[in-house]
Amino acid sequence: MAAIFALAAAFAVSGQGAKTPPPPRPGSSVPAVPPYRPMPVDTTEKSIAVDGSVSISLCVTQGRLKVNGWNRSEVRVYVERGSKIAFNIRDKAVQSGQPNWIAIISTDPRPRGECLVAEQIEIDVPIRAKVSVKGTEVRVSIDSVREAEVSTVGGEISIRNIAGRVSALNRQGGITVESSMGAMSLESTSGNIVVFDVGPGEIGDHFRAKTHGGTISLQTLQHRQVEVGTITGTVVYNGPLRSGGSYNINTNKGAIRLALPANTSALIQATYSSGNFVSELPLKLEMENISEGPIKSIVGRIGTGGDAFVKLTTNNGSISIKKQ
Amino acid sequence: MNDNCLDIGTIQAFMDGELPHEAVLRVSGHIALCDACAISLAMAEDESAVVFPALAREFDTLVPTKRLWNKINDSIEIERESRPFWQKIYAAVVAALASPSFAAAASLLIVFGIFATFWMNKTTVPMADIASGSRSQPTTAVVDPQQPRAADSVANTDEPDAPPVSEYHVERASFKVEPRRIAPAVATNASYTSAGYLPGEQSYVKTISTLAKSVDEQKESGVMGASERISYERDMAVVDDSIKKMKQEVRRNPRNDAAKQVLYASYQNKIDLLNSVSQKEEFLVSLR
Repeated sequence: MAAIFALAAAFAVSGQGAKTPPPPRPGSSVPAVPPYRPMPVDTTEKSIAVDGSVSISLCVTQGRLKVNGWNRSEVRVYVERGSKIAFNIRDKAVQSGQPNWIAIISTDPRPRGECLVAEQIEIDVPIRAKVSVKGTEVRVSIDSVREAEVSTVGGEISIRNIAGRVSALNRQGGITVESSMGAMSLESTSGNIVVFDVGPGEIGDHFRAKTHGGTISLQTLQHRQVEVGTITGTVVYNGPLRSGGSYNINTNKGAIRLALPANTSALIQATYSSGNFVSELPLKLEMENISEGPIKSIVGRIGTGGDAFVKLTTNNGSISIKKQ
Repeated sequence: MNDNCLDIGTIQAFMDGELPHEAVLRVSGHIALCDACAISLAMAEDESAVVFPALAREFDTLVPTKRLWNKINDSIEIERESRPFWQKIYAAVVAALASPSFAAAASLLIVFGIFATFWMNKTTVPMADIASGSRSQPTTAVVDPQQPRAADSVANTDEPDAPPVSEYHVERASFKVEPRRIAPAVATNASYTSAGYLPGEQSYVKTISTLAKSVDEQKESGVMGASERISYERDMAVVDDSIKKMKQEVRRNPRNDAAKQVLYASYQNKIDLLNSVSQKEEFLVSLR
């Protein structure tokens, strides 16, 4: 009974303290509190007629960004609980007279300049548009446009259904690319890179993926020039090897795992240090250098007739080739 | 004719001019006073007039008389006695070489002498005996195959600025190096530049050095957060460890191409890692 009374008394005292802050002691100077800037609560929607091959650039400081392609020569921007926006027309097409290069900017008087801050930003753009996004902490999703170019400090980047070219740089977050075509350059400092069902848009389009501390997972890659590297991560490749393709996969401290179809034909060059090399597919050794020292090297051929070249290098990890 | 008359031989010698000066005077005086001798001289001259044209060809061969031969031999003997010693030896050698068998034997002896001289010069001479205190030029220094441990110790050094100069043995410049006698460590050192780097390695090292300076400043300025800093330091440690191991392996066996590839890839990873920091600050500035 006494305990219940004490608890009720303590609750009553704490509630009074919250309502009436202690007055400042006389003579003490109170530091100036900076004016509070709450998250904008405005919701804005704007649109502009553009050329079908418009190039759109924007900067997002914080929030979620979603870009979708549609079959209209028009750009529509919907900002939920965020900055007021404007279109900055930087160039117009000669033939159509419509803007072919616009920037979506914030009109708020903010220290971030023209960068947008919002809880949700949705942009509809022509499917032949090129989208360039820069940002800090932002989750970017781009779908069904011609080209996508994203560079952020953190957050996540998700790109799909790109017809032309993909360039993504996320310093502290992951990158996901799916069902896209064209040359691709994906780079992350500490995030993972996941890619599936991608291929070249033109002959000679290359695929490059690089991360320092993350894992790279590739599935059904149709590019013939592939360069993949990580420092302390693992590389996983799952899918067929294109005839005439050149695959260069390396990691400093991590494993390399390949899952290839049974009918794969390729020349494999595997270099590894403290790990081992295992292949479920029949590998006809052409050269094996397991001499004294930390580096071991194997050159062998899988299948017959194929002329794909796969170069696998790991300094501290294992290399395995499995049957799909 | 009297007892003092000249015989036909003397008259013939007179006609041929073969008599000494005193005899010529005596014969001439006698012929002038003796008709018989004069007649004999005339008859001899007539015979000569008939015989000489018929035997002109024979006489043109200039067959010396016995006395002329004697004079020639006497002159040769006198000249021979007056010649210097070396000319006598030369004459003896020339005379000896006139014999084919002797000439062949002498030729063999000369060839053998030349070969022996060449073989003796081939012998290894310690460098200290050639020029004590002066190091030979590395390009001419060849490690003695009988000193493999010394060569290995030079090749295993970790000092990139210390070119592997053999200070133990050199061989004469005239020596034709046989490939099988060259120690592997010396032959492979040719793959290093004069500064002790592999081809292309120096540019990596310079780039890394330049980037590292700016990145060190940026790290202290707080560009990276705590977790990012930890990731960066971890990745950098992994890359540095890889570079260190591969450098040791390449120094140990410069023909290990796989180790070279890993080394270059590690250098490139380090550059990418440093770039990620330096470019981040630039990127943040561009957003403002």
